[in-house]
Amino acid sequence: MRREWKQDEKSELFHNVDLPFTRHEVVRFDSGTLRADMQDVIERPSISAVWWGFALALSAMLCNMAFFIQPPAQQSIPWLSLSLALVALVFVGKGLWQVFAPPRIRRGRILGSILSIFSLLLVAVAVFTFFSARALPRSASAPQVGQKAPDFTLADTTGRPVSLDQLFAPAADGNSPKAVLLIFYRGYW
Amino acid sequence: MRPVAISVDAPEISRDLSNKAGYSFTILSDPNAEVIRRYDLLHVRGGPDGHDIARPAEFLVDSSKVVRWVNFTEDIRVRAKADEMLAAAKGLPES
Repeated sequence: MRREWKQDEKSELFHNVDLPFTRHEVVRFDSGTLRADMQDVIERPSISAVWWGFALALSAMLCNMAFFIQPPAQQSIPWLSLSLALVALVFVGKGLWQVFAPPRIRRGRILGSILSIFSLLLVAVAVFTFFSARALPRSASAPQVGQKAPDFTLADTTGRPVSLDQLFAPAADGNSPKAVLLIFYRGYW
Repeated sequence: MRPVAISVDAPEISRDLSNKAGYSFTILSDPNAEVIRRYDLLHVRGGPDGHDIARPAEFLVDSSKVVRWVNFTEDIRVRAKADEMLAAAKGLPES
């Protein structure tokens, strides 16, 4: 549809943000070149990037739940969590730029800010968890394959002392275990 | 193969855990982390309230007390795979 727009009609048309037609349709009007600020006014600001950032940050945290179901390739879950957190950071940054950088109009600033803060908190927790879960001592002097396991005698759940030798003693069925698996765990469960 | 769990938890605590979870394997107590130190697994202030605990690690030891398989997790959330342990145990000669 072609029509000659008069100057005062143009300024009235762009005064209100909620326009009945899309940006694409406006461009087709034979109204001469639209000024840059008018184009920004027409464009509907979107905070979808911040929503994506929030969703990614939430996924980074939910990765921790995956450990409970013990899927294959568990070792990659921490890295997946970290990657999701970092990508979330990028989206949040993009979203905030979209909403706050001039010459955007004031739309979605409050919701965008709230979502961004939550996302950043989730990212911080995900990143902190990643590093603290890996903050383990080197254990360079721990016995390696082929070395002798150091002897010990420790109390079992009844308080009775049990030595490493005794762990190889025959069980109730008369058979001795061919191996003992020592599982050192953190405790405080 | 006989699994034996070791931590700084006192026998009473391990007994509660064992009863609640229905564990049938041996759980040993190392409250002063002596054996944990002997195995160089001490994680200084690694526990809640800054207690010294063991870092997670598994050792498969044969009847001549030689280590045949080890697992040192890089991340405390990642558990050793049962199938890896069993494969290592299967590779051992009958005593």
